[in-house]
Amino acid sequence: MKNSLELLGRYFLLMKIVFSRPEKGKLFWKQFFIDTEKLVLSSIPIIAVISVFIGAVIVIQTASNIESPFISKMYVGYMARESLALEFCSTMIALILAGKVGSNISSEIGSMRITEQIDAMEMMGINSASYLILPKIAAATIFNPLLMVMSFILGLLGGAIIVMITGIVTLSQYSEGLHYAFRSYYIFYSMVKMSAFSFVITSVSSFYGYNASGGSLGVGSSSTKAIVVSSVTILLVNLIITQLMLN
Amino acid sequence: MIRVVKLNKFFGEKQVLKDISINYQPGECSLIIGASGSGKTVLLKSLVGLFEPDSGEVWYENILFNKLDFKDKKNIRKEIGMLFQGSALFDFASVEENVRFPMDFFTDWSNEEKLERVNFCLKRVNLQNVNKLFPNELSGGMQKRVGIARAIALNPKYLFCDEPNSGLDPHTSILIDQLIAEITKEYNMTTVINTHDMNSVMEIGDSVGFIYNGELVWEGDKNNILTSSHKELNEFVFASNMAKKIKEMMK
Repeated sequence: MKNSLELLGRYFLLMKIVFSRPEKGKLFWKQFFIDTEKLVLSSIPIIAVISVFIGAVIVIQTASNIESPFISKMYVGYMARESLALEFCSTMIALILAGKVGSNISSEIGSMRITEQIDAMEMMGINSASYLILPKIAAATIFNPLLMVMSFILGLLGGAIIVMITGIVTLSQYSEGLHYAFRSYYIFYSMVKMSAFSFVITSVSSFYGYNASGGSLGVGSSSTKAIVVSSVTILLVNLIITQLMLN
Repeated sequence: MIRVVKLNKFFGEKQVLKDISINYQPGECSLIIGASGSGKTVLLKSLVGLFEPDSGEVWYENILFNKLDFKDKKNIRKEIGMLFQGSALFDFASVEENVRFPMDFFTDWSNEEKLERVNFCLKRVNLQNVNKLFPNELSGGMQKRVGIARAIALNPKYLFCDEPNSGLDPHTSILIDQLIAEITKEYNMTTVINTHDMNSVMEIGDSVGFIYNGELVWEGDKNNILTSSHKELNEFVFASNMAKKIKEMMK
């Protein structure tokens, strides 16, 4: 318990340093765009593939569970849309990003720590935490909600493709379900969640990387801790935001 | 000039620096020598503020460096160059970007001016046509040279080198030593070098401090280190068979 509190304290102290004014705006924006490419754009292919397949699987599962002739088949589309919008496209994608992006960040910063590159920056009088971490947090927090929207659209597309291939429901029934009782607030809610999850992933992974020690084993260990702690924190944050925004 | 007064540093219960007091003069290569684990690196990192000493003072001219906050330390750090043991070049940046890095942060020079300075620094360390290469494409010796070029990019008053010869062959080691000594004299820098390489001591040791178990137990220079009667220093200096034979011959 004492160790956890100490760790939490160190995390907040690091964040205090991270959220200081960048020393040179031009260099911050340069790093921001590099990190946007590395953390957000490079995640598009894996998220696209997962979203299409998840959408297709949800449609098959929902259709196979609607046996009553009194329930309209259009609910297949409705259920797929709600599942994707409320949970899959934010929480599930965030958990995947915690693995992909989280390990990338913690191992990159951790390697810089053990090879004294961070010391070299500090020696020059540069706020290394702000220079290395702030652009990552900003890039992911701002742009990952757009990934969530992309995932949502591709998930629905995956559902449409499986509907056309298998004919479990007609395309018009599926489409009718997609339009039924649509609440744009759910998309907003999911984007807010994704933004919060992205903050968790980038800040927690950076924290573990920044405090890595003990050579390559230490970098590996910090990477594993970053993924585990980010994932658990995502689930906790998911619960809190859902309680706040949907209840 | 750098003045160190009664510096102490603990890691937990273990005291790794014990009352170290020493002066480093401009235009000289001052060497800190000692066995592995004796506290050399801790001393060097305490001098530049990467470790906070538990007590004692580090003065840069008339400024008490170790009591300054991060912002004020920054002003001194602009005048410090440091060469790290593993060179610590930024993996994400090319040679040119590495050397330009401090200029991007601390100068308002145009790109042309920066490039001119980068090329000057690289030429000074005898490296040319490597601007676009990345650190992993360079040999160990070349990485050290780029590290030195980056360290002198802003024309520092103070240069710190942590084991500049580690991992290098004897010939390249001497070239790096000579380069550091030349630059020190050329710019009248206060240079502090952390090493356990006796070749370096004999090559460039204008002043030498021997650390034993965290204590500064001997001070001198390359001319009197071989004739000292200090027991621990002799054990360190004449550790190898070759050195022992030289000692016999000297007798």
